[in-house]
Amino acid sequence: MLKILVCVKQVPDIDLVKMDPETGNLVRDGVPSMINPLDMNALEAALRLKEDMGGEITAITMGPPAAEAVLRECLALGADRAVLVTGREFGGADTLSTSYVIAKAALQLGSYDLIFCGKETVDGATGQMGSQLAERFGTSQVTSMSLIKSLDMERGSIVVEREVEKGVETIEARIPCLFTVEKTNYQPRLPNYRGKKAARTAKIITMGPGDIEGLDEKLIGVPGSGTIVPRIYPPVLPEAGQIIDEGSAAASAVKLCAILAAEGRI
Amino acid sequence: MEKYGKLSPELMEELRAIVGKERFFTGEDIDPNYSHDEMPIYGSHMPEAVCEVESTREVSEILKLCNEHRIPVTPRGAGTGLVGGAVPLLGGVVISTVRMNKILDYDMKNLCVRTQVGVLLQDLAADAAEHGLFYPPDPGEKTATVGGNVATNAGGMRAVKYGVTRDYVLAMTVVLPTGEILELGKAVCKSSSGYSLLQLMCGSEGTLGIITELTLKLIPAPPHDVSLLMPFENLADAIASVPDIKLAKLDPQSIEFMDADIVRSSAAFTGNSIFPQKLQGREVGGCILVTLVGNSEDELYEKMDRLNDVAEKAGAIDLLVVDTPSLKKTVWSARSSFLTAIEADTKLVDELDVVVPVDKIAEFLVYTRQVGEEQGLYVRNFGHAGDGNLHIYCCSNTMTEEEFIPRVKVVMGKCYSECARFGGQVSGEHAIGHAKKEYLRESVGDTAFRLMSQIKRVFDPNMILNPGKVCTYTEEGKGED
Amino acid sequence: MDKRDYKNMWVYIEQNEKQIEPVSLELCCEARKLCDVTGDRLLAVVLGACPETELDKVKDCGVDGFIHVEGTGYEYYNTQAYANAFTVLSEKYRPSAIFVGGTVNGRDFAPRFAVRLNTGCTSDAMELVYDEKTGDIEFIEPAVGGKIMAVITLPVLRPQIGTIRPGTFRYEPTGGRENIEHIYERIDFPLEEIDTRILAFTPGEGDSELDISDAEVIVCVGNGLKDEASLGRYRELAKLLGGKIGCTRPLFDRGILPYKLQIGQSGVMVKPKLFIAFGVSGAVNHVAGVDAEVFVAVNKRADAQIFNYCDYGIVGDMDQVCDAMIAEIKRMRS
Repeated sequence: MLKILVCVKQVPDIDLVKMDPETGNLVRDGVPSMINPLDMNALEAALRLKEDMGGEITAITMGPPAAEAVLRECLALGADRAVLVTGREFGGADTLSTSYVIAKAALQLGSYDLIFCGKETVDGATGQMGSQLAERFGTSQVTSMSLIKSLDMERGSIVVEREVEKGVETIEARIPCLFTVEKTNYQPRLPNYRGKKAARTAKIITMGPGDIEGLDEKLIGVPGSGTIVPRIYPPVLPEAGQIIDEGSAAASAVKLCAILAAEGRI
Repeated sequence: MEKYGKLSPELMEELRAIVGKERFFTGEDIDPNYSHDEMPIYGSHMPEAVCEVESTREVSEILKLCNEHRIPVTPRGAGTGLVGGAVPLLGGVVISTVRMNKILDYDMKNLCVRTQVGVLLQDLAADAAEHGLFYPPDPGEKTATVGGNVATNAGGMRAVKYGVTRDYVLAMTVVLPTGEILELGKAVCKSSSGYSLLQLMCGSEGTLGIITELTLKLIPAPPHDVSLLMPFENLADAIASVPDIKLAKLDPQSIEFMDADIVRSSAAFTGNSIFPQKLQGREVGGCILVTLVGNSEDELYEKMDRLNDVAEKAGAIDLLVVDTPSLKKTVWSARSSFLTAIEADTKLVDELDVVVPVDKIAEFLVYTRQVGEEQGLYVRNFGHAGDGNLHIYCCSNTMTEEEFIPRVKVVMGKCYSECARFGGQVSGEHAIGHAKKEYLRESVGDTAFRLMSQIKRVFDPNMILNPGKVCTYTEEGKGED
Repeated sequence: MDKRDYKNMWVYIEQNEKQIEPVSLELCCEARKLCDVTGDRLLAVVLGACPETELDKVKDCGVDGFIHVEGTGYEYYNTQAYANAFTVLSEKYRPSAIFVGGTVNGRDFAPRFAVRLNTGCTSDAMELVYDEKTGDIEFIEPAVGGKIMAVITLPVLRPQIGTIRPGTFRYEPTGGRENIEHIYERIDFPLEEIDTRILAFTPGEGDSELDISDAEVIVCVGNGLKDEASLGRYRELAKLLGGKIGCTRPLFDRGILPYKLQIGQSGVMVKPKLFIAFGVSGAVNHVAGVDAEVFVAVNKRADAQIFNYCDYGIVGDMDQVCDAMIAEIKRMRS
């Protein structure tokens, strides 16, 4: 049976995160959380494969206990089991230590033929997790994957399309393989009520630091991270440009055209 | 036929003095958009002058001056209308309220907001939400002004639960065509105090007075809501489920319908294919989109359970749940883009905004499609299944305007007659303007139409305000009797 | 690990059809400045064969030397051979920092060998600053949709790896150095162990409207855009000015315009003569992608950050301004 792992993350709705102009800190209070939008494309790719070939989808996330909400979304859409890796010790992790923990936890529960990740998250936006998880799992990888064309389990190969700067590559990869998924062809579906209702009370496998065998404490959380953020600051803005105000939008536009014409720009 | 005065250079100067040169435009300085609304098919007319007013006093002074010199005046909000209501048929002066865009104050004890009329619906809704309150009327066009909403008594998606715009107007400041300033209504929720001039003003389309300030009723925002999509193999089955949805004691906030064609063209246009076109191997022919509200998630699940029973019995392919903020945004923005999608990929379009009894919706839609196709037009439709308010668009990409207009007139004539036969109304929320006058007259009958004309004359003896709209004529030989 | 044992900075020289990607040269120029401060040597790492004329461009950026890697596995890009080569080289030579262009392929393998070396990897820095006290590089980048700038460092681990987007730094060659060192390494990656194979390549659709990186005039629409129907006027203005239309991330997210038109750090970097931003808020990620000779901003909010980046600004309704500009330009030309 085809075994698929989908890695997801709960993120804040960053459009609603505001910066406190006094302190320069981010105000996250009351900002709703959601599943990272590009992770939905990864899940959609997995769901379509499962529809065609059968199989089992495991969804995994690392985060605070509230992150189980995003796992329930995955279950509602058709994931078969969900794993929440949670614990204070994991907090403050960068991608180096997060990829270590997620791979350890997932491998303890089984092996996977195909692993799907979103291309990047809207909050961290490093786009590194896919490659780093592939290294941790020891699988092949195709990042920016936009379409699965065929899967041959007997030969252990999968043919996909990959979006690069100048066009599209068709790539054959050996299984097991990890993909980061583009949104191009994988618009997520809507969950149905049956799935939603079942997901509401479904069991979620929760793993803390003590539940993961052979976990090296030096490699998790802040101590296991390669990078730190010693400080943040508000963007330094250049001096404002010249504001053209001729009383109305139309009059200002005319004046602007005159200036640009005088400068030889139009 | 009224005789109107000319807007002389001296009068222009007086108008300029009232609003100041920055907010006064004439001739080539007038933005061409002032000559039409979103349905240019009904004709474009440039005003001779535009005043972008900022206060009730300015409106009053302009009207006094224009009344004295019998200059036609057309009030205008954001210009998003669909029946030519804000088009200055006789030129003259357009009074634009777009700069009266301040929300004045909230009364958190009596749950109401006082606002200028040029505030956009989307801005009022967002601002009320920031105050933890909810402005229930929800017309599709979010960039319309609230003044325009009141003037047309716009309805929208949530009318099925909360009613329409007029149900939320507690009081207003209105300037009569003579320039007199009148305060109507009080910021209280009941009134049994004489003829309701307040309610007469709602839906009067700027023919009786120019509204400048509003006190609107707000309610506490419902704590939880969820939207559900019911796809069916055909639209008739979808619509047949509506009475059962209503009977299931769900008190839905909205019940919308959409046919497969509009879903397809909107998906092609926006690239957002959130509404399924195929599901479980079955083609989707039509969808119902229901929004439920509740005080807790458990309550919502109870309601969804009951809706699920209705969906199963009605033969829905599935019941899809739209519950996360991002999904809601995607689904409702796709729903809101229907009209835009039609406008974008259609060269010529005319529309109906009729209301028919809910059990007649499906039959009426079949009829319009049939008469439209007979005339070589293609028909797109969507609308509010919960209250029978249908938006039907007759379109052509191949005809010239000269070919299109007589054909679409035939379609309109037949459809409005059929609507009347079903016991329906000419307009649910887009109003009459000058485009739908004849159909209104036919629908309400001569007596009612005459009463309307007479009321108009009581308010506006010189007939200067928004001439040619609702129940008055600007053409020679067409009187009010 | 003692980070003081790690010396010198490397730039990965990415090739595409025997040509060096511009981003690699940009990184050499920027890393040169950094090395001048730290006293590190700057080495360019080339995998597989590279034409001499191309290597001359790298020399011009002031590198102190090259590491040429020969062997099997570098004919076409693949994650494994490339990640392996950098792992082997890093373990042998212990560089302090490795900079990799943030292309699709650069972002594919750099994070992977970072994990194999058990070190940190940063992405999308816009500024590199050396902190003398700690000896660490500060990678400075916009975070949370550009609302803040974050300083990221590797306080303990080495090498410090960073992928950096094309167009972030300027290509300003300072001239070649004397005595350029050439190190030759043979690292074979067995071909039969490569798990991915490129079967075909289809060049992107030839729609020139979608290639805005070299456009001289760009009309950029942001989230202030009302709806799709309003887009027509901006296309018209762009056409009138002989330019192209672009957008910010929210318009791509809203499904209104394609990704290829998204301007900014995570999209296309542009350097037009004239840039007109309509309804753009001015998030750092977006403006970081714009290097314009004249920058015009139109926004209805007077406090919009975009006005800090513009040469000329108009506070007003974007549609009205656009319509008036179209009318005025037509009038001026008639």
